[in-house]
Formats: sequence, structure tokens, C-alpha cells
Amino acid sequence: MMHAFSLFFSSLVVFVFGLTIFIRNRRVSLNRIFFLFCFCIFVWLFSYSVAFLVEGEIFKIFMFKVGYIGIAFIPIIWLLYTGEFLEDKFLSRLFYWVLPFPCFFVFFNFYKQDFLIKGLNSFVWGDYPRVNLIPHISFLSYFSLLFTLISVALLRASFFSTKHYMHIIRSRYIFWGTIVGSFAAVDFVPNYGFDLYPMGFLFMIAFTGMTFYSVIKYRLMNVSLVITRTSIFVAVYSLILGIPYAFAIGCQEWLRMHFGELWWLSPMVLLTVMATAGPFIYLAIQRRAEEKLFQDQRRYQSTLRQASTGMGRIKDMDKLLDMIVRVVTRSVRIEHSFIYLSDRKSKEYKLEASRFRNERTDVPQTIASDSRVLKALKKIRAPIVFSEVQQRAQDFKDLKLQELEEQMSALHAELIVPCFIDEKLIAVMVMGKKVSGELYSQDDLAVFMILSNQAGLAIENAQFYKDMRATHEQLFRAEKMATIGIMADGLSHQINNRLHALGFIAGDALDTIQLNKKLKMTDEVKEMMVDIEHALTRIQENVSQGGEVVRGLLKYSRKSDEQFGEVELDELIDEAVTMAQFKIKTGEMSIVRDFEPGLPKIHGNFTQLQEVFFNMIDNAYDAMMQRKSDLKEEGYEPRITIKAERSRMGSMRIVLEDNGIGIRAEDQEKIFTPFFTTKLSSKKGTGLGLYVIQKLIEENHKGKVFYKSEYGKGTRVYITLPTVEGLDQDMIQSVERQA
Amino acid sequence: MSKLLIVDDEIDIREFARNYFKKRGIQVFTASGGSEALDILKEERPDLILLDVRMEEMTGVEFLQKMRGEGDPTKVIMVSGIEDEETINQARSLGIIGFIHKPLVLEELQKIVMKELKQGA
Repeated sequence: MMHAFSLFFSSLVVFVFGLTIFIRNRRVSLNRIFFLFCFCIFVWLFSYSVAFLVEGEIFKIFMFKVGYIGIAFIPIIWLLYTGEFLEDKFLSRLFYWVLPFPCFFVFFNFYKQDFLIKGLNSFVWGDYPRVNLIPHISFLSYFSLLFTLISVALLRASFFSTKHYMHIIRSRYIFWGTIVGSFAAVDFVPNYGFDLYPMGFLFMIAFTGMTFYSVIKYRLMNVSLVITRTSIFVAVYSLILGIPYAFAIGCQEWLRMHFGELWWLSPMVLLTVMATAGPFIYLAIQRRAEEKLFQDQRRYQSTLRQASTGMGRIKDMDKLLDMIVRVVTRSVRIEHSFIYLSDRKSKEYKLEASRFRNERTDVPQTIASDSRVLKALKKIRAPIVFSEVQQRAQDFKDLKLQELEEQMSALHAELIVPCFIDEKLIAVMVMGKKVSGELYSQDDLAVFMILSNQAGLAIENAQFYKDMRATHEQLFRAEKMATIGIMADGLSHQINNRLHALGFIAGDALDTIQLNKKLKMTDEVKEMMVDIEHALTRIQENVSQGGEVVRGLLKYSRKSDEQFGEVELDELIDEAVTMAQFKIKTGEMSIVRDFEPGLPKIHGNFTQLQEVFFNMIDNAYDAMMQRKSDLKEEGYEPRITIKAERSRMGSMRIVLEDNGIGIRAEDQEKIFTPFFTTKLSSKKGTGLGLYVIQKLIEENHKGKVFYKSEYGKGTRVYITLPTVEGLDQDMIQSVERQA
Repeated sequence: MSKLLIVDDEIDIREFARNYFKKRGIQVFTASGGSEALDILKEERPDLILLDVRMEEMTGVEFLQKMRGEGDPTKVIMVSGIEDEETINQARSLGIIGFIHKPLVLEELQKIVMKELKQGA
């Protein structure tokens, strides 16, 4: 009764396994074969459960014979499955050669009395077929030969296959499944009259379950874990079921003596107690076993957890990323790991840190923003395992998955873990294969997700520090500028007064000498007077120059409320060029104007803007002359191009381009700083030109100025200035606001 | 003899300017601040004043206002640092011959001064 129920239940479980796989993707022949295989097992177990329930020898034997149809086809269908799975032509062809055997056994089993089943053996747990020795042994040979063959083929595939990783892991599952399934042969033992409880159904559930799992799950557990779990399961449950049976059988006489007709009650109670305790025992043993099995894994997982918590303290971005890849590569023992960070400007993900265990490989520097990898990560927000993608792409023939597979393979990624902060994917961690060749386990992925969350926070933190430092530097510079502005005012007056006095003193002394030249002097004194006169003249000249520097600075350091008006660009540049002519030879270069037709007038101060353009033309000229003298290129023609166009409503973009020497990269940061000059002192640069330009444009005109320069090629200065159209716009807005 | 008043809070300027113009036969008075200058103005009636704009006690413009307020029409040349347009406009409205920037070239100053004194004489 009890046995019938166990068989019935098992038959249903196996049937559901088969059906699930079949429904999931019936176009795949492998799935159809698996269903057929499960159906054979179902026929066996179901018929046997009926046989245990019905009364009468003839019925029982009939049902056992029906069960034998299933049993006979189990090995050959499994042969078909492995042939198909391994794409092994020999196994597939062998199927047709072997097919007559089970047909023969099934046919004669029904057709000929006593061919396989001669009668029944009676056991405590029920009646069981008694077999005819000779035919049954040949049946057994057919059975064991095929299973041996299949196991060998699977074993070979598990270790020497050239197929992809996931396939190999599946082969291992199926191999171990087959081995576990072979234990179901214990069910043949009672056929020969030996009293052994036929618990083959347990092995069959384990067998089909493992195969089922390997097909349905893409994130497969470590095979050794599965084997451990399965063996513990089978061992624990055979004890739970076995001990009460052994008790019932062994102590039957004694029990009858004490309890009479109700003797079976006490084994029944024992069974109930043990079945209740079963899951606890199972879990306890499993936990112990797994601790032993995954010592290494547990160790690195705890290392990673520790690293996760320490990460937040690292403020330097490069150090942080380097630490992450180093810890991951070393503790998990993987071939390599990389981190790609989201780039705010380009929206790409850029390679920022990498670590290799052995040799370096070429890694793409960026992941494009529209790549399949990023789309997938954003969609599922969880780690992506390469072998899983590969298997899915194959199983479902999905183009998107195939694209993903290709991209991951280009990244040398066995695993990709996303780092999210809120909705934003800020980083992507790419990991190579484990050195041990093991798959990433579910546990690993969970730990990586914790790591990536922490890394995300730490990266954001470091980014914040980086930004803050930049802002701080900017503020500091601005403050320095402001201080210079204020100081310049007071300081330059003081310096100017000193210069003034100095000039006065020198001038007076010079005057005295000049007025008294006619006095009688010895030649020596006369010579000395000439020297002194020269010295005083130099002092006066230096005073004038010093005065110019001070004036230049002071002129723009204070807010100007000079009048704003309409300024025509053409006229402005004419005037600036005229101004420049005093200082430079404008004939040595050409100035090309390229203005958009119908350009509006600038809203600004003519004198200040004239100063701006004068300074820029002057700078361009110096740069071009320097290129001419430094590089001595043949046919070099110094040229300034001034382009102007409307940009946004109410503003104008002017680009002044020269083909001069350009600015060295190391100087580019500094050129707007007051008193910084790259010009040789003989050229008398005050270092104020660009500082003044910037102040005039950005503070007085609320415009913008920046430049791009390449040393040896030239410089382009971009200026945005307000136009009178913008003024109208402001007026309209303010009128609207008032209304 | 022409009379020149130099108003400046810099002792060096006073000393050397006095020297310089004395050599050219000009009677030079100096004042270190506005109130001293006003006294000299009343007593000596100079033909020309060289007036510094920035001074501690009283600024050049304030001195000019006081002086003009008392109805004194004496010619004034302002010696300025780099002053705001506003200061210069203010001084202009109070009637000055001109202004000269510091640091000045002595010869230029001398030309202007001599021209004005000759005209006055």
C-alpha cells in the first residue's frame, strides 16, 4: 500500500519533469526525447504502483508486464538522448541497431507465457515479479551494456569536449545523473527472490531531476554540490524509509506476539516520526557537507565582504578602482577583471582599471552607450553570466542574445556585474573565468551584487571628492582673482606713487646735470656725469614702463560703468587693427573676416571691446611671428581668420583663429591668470592681456571666452557677446513681467 | 616772478618739485595737505597750482571744491593716479586746466607749467 503510493507519486513527479521541458520548448528535439524518456519511466512506475494495489496474480503480472514496456525502453531512449545531446553520430546510429532488442523483449513478454516474468515473489512490502533466469539475464546485459556505453560517452564529453563551457557543465550533470540513475538497478534484485526493498524510484527521481535542472536552469550549481545534495537526499531517505521496514520485517514475530493484529502500528509510528525528522536531518547534514565542500569559496566571499565595507573610505578614484580589481582577481582567483566607468560627457563606459592574473590581453577601451551589454544590464539589473547567455542564445536562437554573446566575448567576460546608484548604471565590472574552471555559483553572484552595490557607493563618493576638489580649486582661483582685483586697486596706487616719486627724483637730478653741463669739469668728472645721466634716463624709462603695467592692471580691475551702446563688429575690428598698427606690422599677416550676413550689432562698450580685439590680434601676431622664427617653415603665411555668427537668440559667437605657434599644454591652464606670460621679456608682455580680456568679456559684458590651442598648429579663441537683439528680448521680458 | 603752489602729501615730490622749478626761476610754495594749501593760497596768491588727487587729509577734489567755493579762480593742474572717470569729470566741472597721470615725465610737466605761467604773466 505504502510502496504503491511512493511509486505513484514518483511516477507523477517524473512525468511533470518531462512535460515541463516539453512544453517549454517543444521545437527542440532534445526536449521531445527527454519527454519520451520520462514517459517510459512514468509507464514503469505507474504500472508497478497499480500492480501493488490490485488483487489477483493475473492482474498483478499483467501490470508488471505493462511496466516492463517502460523499463525496456529506458536505456535505448536515453541512448537517443545522449546521442543527440553530444551530437554523437555513432550513438545516434546505434539507436537504430539496438531498437529491435527492447521490441523483442516487450513483444515476447506478452506473447509468450513465462518469458520474462514467471510468477510472483512475496515480500513483506508486497508482491514482486519472479523472473525467468536466462531471458532476464540477457535483458539485464542489454540494459547494463547500454548504460555503460552512455556513461563512457558522457564522461568523455565532460572532460575532453571542445564544446562551450555550459555544454561541458551540462554533460557533467547528465553523466552524474546517469550514474545515480544506474543505482535504480537495485530494483532488479527482488526479481531474483532476494528481499531488498525496491527503492529505484528514488534514484530515478534524482536522475531525471538532475537532467531537468541542467536543462531548465542556466545558472547551474556546482556539480559536486548537486552530487553531494543528491547523495545525502538518497541516503537520508533510504534510511527513513528503510529502518521502519527493516523493523517491521525483522521484528514481525516479536511484534505479533506483543501487539497481536495491530502489530504494524508501531513500525507505522516509527515511520511517521522519522519522516517528520527527515527534513531536519537532511538539512543539518547538507549544511555540514557544504561547509566542507566550499571552504575556499566561503573564504573569498568573506574577503570580498570585508573589502566591500572598507571601500567607502578610499577617496581617490584610481586607488579605489585598482583596489577593487585587485581584490576580486586575487581572492576569487579569476583570470582578469576590469571596471568600466560611465563617462558623463560621451555617455560611453570607459575602461578605468584592469587586472590580469597572467598575461594581458587586448581589452576594448570603451563600451558604446547603445551596446547590447549595457541594454541588458539596465534591463535586468543583475549579473550576466556568459555561459548562460551562450546556452540561451543556442536554445532559443535569439539574435539579441547572440549579439550579447558576441559583445561579451569581445570583452573577455565570463561575468558582468552592474553597479547601480538609484536608476543610474555608473559602472560595469567585467570578470574573466575562474582559474579553477568552475562556474560562478549563485552564492558568488549574490556576493558580487553586494560588492557592486558597495563599489557603486564608493565610486560615487570618490567622484564627489574629485568634483569637489575641482570646484574647490576653481573657487580658490576665483577668490585669488578677486583678491588680486581688490589688492590691485590699493597696491597699484601705492606703487604708482612710488614710481611717481622715483621719476620725479630722477628727473630732477637729470635736469640738474643737464642744466650744469656748461660748468667747468675735469674729463673724469664729465665722463662720470655722462654715466650718471644715462643711469637716470634708464630709471625714468623704467618708471614709465612700470607705470604702464600698473595702469593696465588698474584700468580693468575695477568695475566699469562706462557706457554701453551699439557696436558694429566690422568697425570694431577696423579700430582694433588701427590700434595694433602702432605696435605691429600688419602688412606681415592677413586678416580674413567671415561674417554671417545680417549680423546684429553687439551690445557693449566700444573702448573695452576695442581693447579686447586689439589684445587678441596682438597676441595672435606675436604667436605667428614666433612660429615664423621658431619653425622656419617654407611658405608659411601668417593669417588670422575672424568668423562671426549668431548663436543663441540675443548673442553672437565670434571665433578668432590664428595659425601661430599655439599654447603649450602645460601653459593652457594658466593663460588667464594675471601676470602670467609666455612671451619673452624682451617683447614686454605684461601678462595682463588675457586676464583683462576675460574680465572685460565675462564680467563687464556677461559674455563667454574660451580657447582651443595646439602647440605648433595655432589657437582658436571663442567669444560669445550679447547683441542688441538680446536687449530687446530682455526689454520684452521685463515689460511682460510688469504686465 | 611766477608763483607755483605744489600740493602733495609726498615729501619727496614736494622737495624735488621745488628744486626743479626753482632752477627755472619760479617761486615755489609747497603744502602737504589741503588746509595748509588754502592758507598759502590766501597769503601768496600763486599763479598755478599742481594738485595731487589722492591725499590723506583732504582729497584734491575736496580742496578744489573749497577753493572754488571761496571764489578763488586760480588755475589748477591735477596730478592723478589712474582715477575713475567720475573723479576726473568732477574735477573738470570745477574748472581745471588739465590733468596729468602719474608717473609723469618731468619734461612734459615742465612744458605745461611753463606755458601756463607765461600766459599768466
